[in-house]
Amino acid sequence: MRQDTIGYDSLEARPLPKWLTDQREGLNTYQPEVREMKEDHSLSISLISTGVVIFLTILFLTIWFLKKNKKRM
Amino acid sequence: MKSNYLKILIIAAILSLSCTTKVSEWFLLNSFPDNYLLVYYHNSTIPESIARQNKELESRYKTSNVLFRSVLKEEIEKPYYALYYNNRLFSEYADYLSLNEIEFSPVREEITSELFAGKLCVLFYLKSGDPEKDEKGLQVLKNTVAESPFGNIISIMELDRNSVEEKHFVSMLLNVESDLKDIHEPMLFGVFGRFRVLEPLLAKGISEENINLLIDFLTADCSCLIKDNLPGISMLCNAVWENPRPAMVNNILDENPTLIHH
Repeated sequence: MRQDTIGYDSLEARPLPKWLTDQREGLNTYQPEVREMKEDHSLSISLISTGVVIFLTILFLTIWFLKKNKKRM
Repeated sequence: MKSNYLKILIIAAILSLSCTTKVSEWFLLNSFPDNYLLVYYHNSTIPESIARQNKELESRYKTSNVLFRSVLKEEIEKPYYALYYNNRLFSEYADYLSLNEIEFSPVREEITSELFAGKLCVLFYLKSGDPEKDEKGLQVLKNTVAESPFGNIISIMELDRNSVEEKHFVSMLLNVESDLKDIHEPMLFGVFGRFRVLEPLLAKGISEENINLLIDFLTADCSCLIKDNLPGISMLCNAVWENPRPAMVNNILDENPTLIHH
């Protein structure tokens, strides 16, 4: 059907079907990109950084609290 | 996290499987045939007898890939039927009787059963009427198929283009491309999937190299390019395509992995 608009002068010059020329030239072989899983560390990084922040906050507050109350003790 | 990984893995597996299905199998399982449109053109009120016949046509076409419409066209002299495929006029019919077996014929039934049985394809040889040319092309076809590793799962069928019994089928084949009716040469049509017919090889084009390329086309992995831009046209036929037999091509490829190609 796709050849309908292509003109030719003789049967010898008539173009071959597109599916055939595409097959011969390897143009039918396009495949979608193969999806590969990438390692995702975002959750671990998020958990560790949250833990570090909490730990540092507690440490800072403990030191601050101890220093503040040292005189009273 | 683990369930997400699992989901991604399953989706990737499904995608990769769909792309290794062979062209012939993929279209048999997944691609619906295109519909034809049969139009009854009339210039006045439809007589009751004709209306009854048209109703009968509609019910007859329920399992075929053809839709029926009546269209009022005042400028015409006589009512007639016209068959379209993708807005292209294929044939005109003077009356109800000339539509007899438009959707059914012995050869089409045979081809359907071969495809349904899991064959790779039917290579359909339409003879020109010139015995010398016809025999030459047919020998090339038979020899090439006999030497192909897929030879056992390919059916060869032949028909004279002047066949009266198969006139509707021949007319549809000669409409695969707009110039085929004027070319009086042997033609080789690859038929696959749900009666999809590829643009044919003609005359000297019926060569060993081209026939092997046709077989390669049907045994290759079904790429997205082919799915989106399917060559050829659907034939009008009366068939139910549910639950076909498993594709035989897979057994051959499993036994001979060297034949696998993309």
